[in-house]
Amino acid sequence: MANERLRSLEDVEKEIATVLQCAGNIVLELSKDKQNASFLDRQLVQFQSSVNRVESELSSQIRYLTQVATGQPHEGSTYSARKDCQMALNRAEYAKVKLGDLGRTCEVMLEQPQHQQQQI
Amino acid sequence: MATQRVLPQSKESLLQNYNKRLKDDIKSIMDNFTEIIKTAKIEDETQVSRATQAEQDHYEMHVRAANIVRAGESLMKLVSDLKQFLILNDFPSVNDAISLQNQQLRSLQDECDKKLTSLRDEIAVDLYELEEEYYSSSYSQWDTTDLPLCEAFRRRDSWASSDSSCSSTQGDQEYMDGAITQEVNPTQHHLNGHGTTSGDKP
Repeated sequence: MANERLRSLEDVEKEIATVLQCAGNIVLELSKDKQNASFLDRQLVQFQSSVNRVESELSSQIRYLTQVATGQPHEGSTYSARKDCQMALNRAEYAKVKLGDLGRTCEVMLEQPQHQQQQI
Repeated sequence: MATQRVLPQSKESLLQNYNKRLKDDIKSIMDNFTEIIKTAKIEDETQVSRATQAEQDHYEMHVRAANIVRAGESLMKLVSDLKQFLILNDFPSVNDAISLQNQQLRSLQDECDKKLTSLRDEIAVDLYELEEEYYSSSYSQWDTTDLPLCEAFRRRDSWASSDSSCSSTQGDQEYMDGAITQEVNPTQHHLNGHGTTSGDKP
């Protein structure tokens, strides 16, 4: 499904942000007088894994597109089904309007004898 | 299954361009970061004074950090371009999305029409009674050539019953009597119609 591919690309975007974040944390830690070696190791491992993940994911997406893409534009559409559905909704709306008219007519007719009785 | 297709030049060059950008940006990030880490190493022997070397190292790190950020920004742009390309050119997923949308729209249309049909059936029953009441009252202004719904149903029922069994001939006669008396005395037809039909229906 296309949604999965688009979601994986969004995850790639988050990974790129993680890459930059890890690089910044490492440089920040190195700038201190006393560095925490385990923290540096963790950040470095995360940096490398994120970079590898970004590269592999984007390469696989480009490979898939090379296999799937043609030069032609896609000419499919949902116009006919959408039009049919719109017509069905219009039918329902029309029926509602007509029933409303009928209801109002009945109410008017019911009120008239009462008025006539009151006048008498 | 993945046969190499001959893509148009523009698409193929576009995808090659994407590959190149990916490789360049990843290489830029790795190289610049490695150089920053190397520059962070404090050396005892320097060709210029320590202050100058520190200043130079500071400027170099600044530029390399900016390069890393630029490469990251370029990768984000690449991801955006890939998303756009995927939406426009990934035909299997576009076909899936179109068929799913069509299916949803058709099911909505079917549900709407089914509800309208059931509403029509319910209203037909009420309309039958309303017309019967109206056309048998003294307020009606219908002419004999225009059949009301209740009369049309009665005549259809009488035709159907005459085809199926012969015991309804008496009912037919009474129906005809009812129809004749309707023109003469509308108020009595209502009672007669109900009295006769309840006895004659099989």
